[in-house]
Amino acid sequence: MISLALSMLFLPLLSALVTLLFLRKNGNLASLLSVCTSAGILILALSLIFGFEEDVQAWDTTWFAMGGWELRFGFLIDAPARLLLFIVAFVGFLIHLFSLGYMAHDSARPRYFGGLSIFMFSMLGITLADNLIMIFVFWELVGFSSYLLIAHYFKTDEASKASRKAFIVNRVGDFGFLIGIVLTYWSFGTVNLIELADLSDFSPSLVTTSLCLALACGFIGKSAQFPLHVWLPDAMAGPTPVSALIHAATMVAAGIYLLLRIDFLFTDQALGLIAFLGAAMGLYAGFCALVQKDIKKILAYSTLSQLGYMAAAFGLGAPGVALFHLTTHAFFKALMFLGSGSVIHACHHEQNIFKYGGLRNRMPITALTFLVGVLAISGVNFLSGYFSKDAILLWAYNFNMPIFIILYAGAILTAVYMFRLYFITFEGQPRSESATNATENSFLMTGPLLTLAVLSIVGGYFALYPQRLGAYLGPDLAVVSSLPHHMWMVVLGTSAWIIGLLFARSFYWKVDQVDPLTRRYPGFYEICQSKLYFDEIYRFYVDKIQDPAARFLEIMELLFISGLMVRGSAGVTALFSMLAKACYVGRIHAYIIWFMVGTLGFLFYSAVLLD
Amino acid sequence: MNLETILLLGAIIVPALGSILFFSGFPKSGETLKKLGYLVFGFPCFAAIFLFFRFDSANGYCFEFLYDRMGLQELGITFHLGLNGVSSPLFALAGIVCFCAGLTAVHSGAERLRLYLALLSMMVSGLMGIFACVDLFFYYLFHEFALIPTFIMIGIWGGRDRRSIALEITIYLTLGALISLGGLVALNVLVDAPKFDFPHLSEAIARSPLLESSSSKIFGLLLFGFGILVALFPFHTWAARGYDSAPTSVSMLHAGVLKKFGLYGLIQIAVPLLPSAAECWSPWIMWLALGNIVFVGMVALAQTSFKSMISYGSVMHMGYCFLGVAACSALGAGSAVMLMCAHGLSIALMFLVASFVRKRTNTFEMSEMGGLAERTPLLACFGIAATLATIGLPGFGNFWGEFGIFLSLGESSEHLIFLVIAASGIVLSAIFGLRAVAQIFFGKESEELSEHIQKYPVEDLSPKEILPASFLLGALLFIGLWPISISQRIDEDINQKYNPMFSDSSLAKPSCCPEDTDSSLPVDPSPVE
Repeated sequence: MISLALSMLFLPLLSALVTLLFLRKNGNLASLLSVCTSAGILILALSLIFGFEEDVQAWDTTWFAMGGWELRFGFLIDAPARLLLFIVAFVGFLIHLFSLGYMAHDSARPRYFGGLSIFMFSMLGITLADNLIMIFVFWELVGFSSYLLIAHYFKTDEASKASRKAFIVNRVGDFGFLIGIVLTYWSFGTVNLIELADLSDFSPSLVTTSLCLALACGFIGKSAQFPLHVWLPDAMAGPTPVSALIHAATMVAAGIYLLLRIDFLFTDQALGLIAFLGAAMGLYAGFCALVQKDIKKILAYSTLSQLGYMAAAFGLGAPGVALFHLTTHAFFKALMFLGSGSVIHACHHEQNIFKYGGLRNRMPITALTFLVGVLAISGVNFLSGYFSKDAILLWAYNFNMPIFIILYAGAILTAVYMFRLYFITFEGQPRSESATNATENSFLMTGPLLTLAVLSIVGGYFALYPQRLGAYLGPDLAVVSSLPHHMWMVVLGTSAWIIGLLFARSFYWKVDQVDPLTRRYPGFYEICQSKLYFDEIYRFYVDKIQDPAARFLEIMELLFISGLMVRGSAGVTALFSMLAKACYVGRIHAYIIWFMVGTLGFLFYSAVLLD
Repeated sequence: MNLETILLLGAIIVPALGSILFFSGFPKSGETLKKLGYLVFGFPCFAAIFLFFRFDSANGYCFEFLYDRMGLQELGITFHLGLNGVSSPLFALAGIVCFCAGLTAVHSGAERLRLYLALLSMMVSGLMGIFACVDLFFYYLFHEFALIPTFIMIGIWGGRDRRSIALEITIYLTLGALISLGGLVALNVLVDAPKFDFPHLSEAIARSPLLESSSSKIFGLLLFGFGILVALFPFHTWAARGYDSAPTSVSMLHAGVLKKFGLYGLIQIAVPLLPSAAECWSPWIMWLALGNIVFVGMVALAQTSFKSMISYGSVMHMGYCFLGVAACSALGAGSAVMLMCAHGLSIALMFLVASFVRKRTNTFEMSEMGGLAERTPLLACFGIAATLATIGLPGFGNFWGEFGIFLSLGESSEHLIFLVIAASGIVLSAIFGLRAVAQIFFGKESEELSEHIQKYPVEDLSPKEILPASFLLGALLFIGLWPISISQRIDEDINQKYNPMFSDSSLAKPSCCPEDTDSSLPVDPSPVE
């Protein structure tokens, strides 16, 4: 089993290496290799999930050891890991397939597919790792592959800036995560997840709020939560399949996964904070999504909002429900991102939804599957999102009313902006040349869409999950089904998406090239458009505080250290040498005077002082 | 004498002989000169890597060579070579960087190439000697052997202001070397040891301990002497100016290898010999190291020239090594050695990349570049890899060193504040590193670059350039992916030296030098993170 896990982990790294060394010029072969690799990962992952009973696996090798601290390379393939492994391998494979079509005309395919392979390697590492330091290693590596892939179109300023921003903002989160790991090691004496769980059961006093909040910084950075959410919308500068895989289905969800892995370390205060931040994010991102024009940005904000739902579920003490929503979200959000990719590809890289319109007739499969995604995320009854989101809502309704209200408002908003997106893009008349000439894409791209659409429909039926996959979800979902107010929740949930649908229908059914909201409620539009000025505040910090401080310190260094200290001491030496030189004037008179002064001085010294 | 000892000796003697040959003007034609260059720079590298893999010893020194008829044995000075767990990876580092720098020099097309190679191989001989020496006198002597050519080469082949910079760096570093020499001489005089090397000194100190006051003074001398040589804040200004002006091979060798001399001295000699003094001085080292990380890091952020940014960045990362030393634990010191090895490789690669970029754009100003990834994808690949290595991405060796140092700081709750401030450096170095990558390789070509390219078409890396760069990168990845390969030997050696000193709880906070501990701490100059 260990060799199976190892070969699954290192297969994509090997593929990336081969691409780098031999296939830099050969796009076809590189993409073929990468797709085969992802198929191989899927097969290995399935046999790993279904073929073995035991959970823990350690490769009996020390990876790093210093001064009494030892880091072992080990895998923990328990119930949540199996589910995420399935999502990563399966969605990853579909997105590799889709990329074959989407990137067919890109000249830099080797770089793209190499990057995807590195991403698969790092993401599998996070999924399987059995200790915090290994998680951190792969955590940073997914950040790196995300950086590389966002920068795919590096010639544009947008991609160049967005890649940097994503890496640096993630680094800010990792800074806290790193400190959290160090604190964990010194208070528990280990970073192994299983040993940590045992220890925290055994002596609960070791668990402190500051410790778990430091660790949660990693989650805040990677899952783009307050206040580090600014990188995710910009990250849409990367190719669309990348946005689907990394910035919607898997990598950003890794933050939630990290929380699940260490849920025993969280105190009630920390959980409350995470729940509140998550719910607030659910609402805030909804308002931002409402006024975006770029199809991918709408989906990005929607991802932020759904991640907020997962965080809220975790914070309310239902990690199983959070993972359930993570799973269904991975299906329908990957579906919608790929759908948007299909649209963007057909419309020659036009991303403004007001330039689309009427695409339903031209791209029927894309439109239909996209509609499935919209219905699922809005929580339309009996689709996957209905089950997972309403489980979160019901839980909040029973345990924390204020958070329920925020989340419920967010749910209505989700339906509004999602139907807005659908109506503007696929209904009405084409509003640009590229939309008029759009045609449906090849089966390479629609195939993954159809598969994901099926999963978005049935992904919510927990009874369909094999025991090996659903083991972690079971207990929490059993609690959900035993909670009171079930019927009431069905009514509330259904009315949420119907309100959203009607609202969107009345506003966005017929649009021209301008958002109708700008005319009717310009003030509200402006507020949403501003996104509460987070970007501006950070920009202000960088431009007006950080960079001037750097220049100021540079001048200080020049003045005081290399000036006053170094040059100054050289100057003092030079002064003495000048004084000394002044005595050597080369005239006999002067020397005679010096001689006499010296003699007198000597006589004075011997007469007065030595006597 | 077995093969290993011959190789160890040869790694020092071959470049020294090469230097004499070059000076004497033996190879007339360009081709012979190059071939001799390959031999002179290749042999130490081969020997170093061979010995790295042959190294197998948990106790003391391997591959020892002793010559004690120098007439100095009354002073305890013998010519004693050998490698231990700490010096063996550094010896390998020296070999690899010397080879890459030598190759670059051979192909540099510098004027008066023979003189250049002569000085460079003299420097190489000294560098190999530093880490191969057991005897402290020769350890110091080899350092001078490597340092002096640096000055001359900056003075002759340097960039702008080379004369004044060469003068400044000469005076500054000679001062540092002199202060540390003072410390070493004081050790030799005050400790009654039959031989002037670490095992004998520590034995003698264990027999008759030094006075607290004198050991504290000796440590101070060694700390500031070595500190100047390693560019400890605020004695770091020579480094940025010097590297900025020095020719590429010299920057690579100095920043990559020679600068590690001081840290090596602190970790191998000063701290294990004078543990209580080290603990007294530890708060000082920590605050000054934070100066390196935060202050110099911010200054690096303000640089517009690629090469100065690299120089300041290298000074900044030395701060982490000092923090590891100041943690006074096996974990901290061992991780500092890890970081020294990885940093030496990564900074040499950075300077190499800078010279490649300069060759293609004719400038170091980052605002006059842009979009190079389009025309030179391989160069961009190496550039990005080198940058990510220096900012401590896992997968490259630097990560393990930095992580271990952070971990060592978490051990005592008093050091938490240092941990938090120091860890903010990982964000800071990411900011300036990635900013440089974006300005040089991403985005659109600047007008200056387009004009330059019209006149001089740009080509991607040639095989001659790829060889040294991929050699350095491969070594970085090797350490990063398989850290146990070097951490094990460091760990064994460091544990022997440090654990008896520091894990002992009976060694409570010493009462010496009370004025050092908290009253007059220098305030961290920059509150900005």
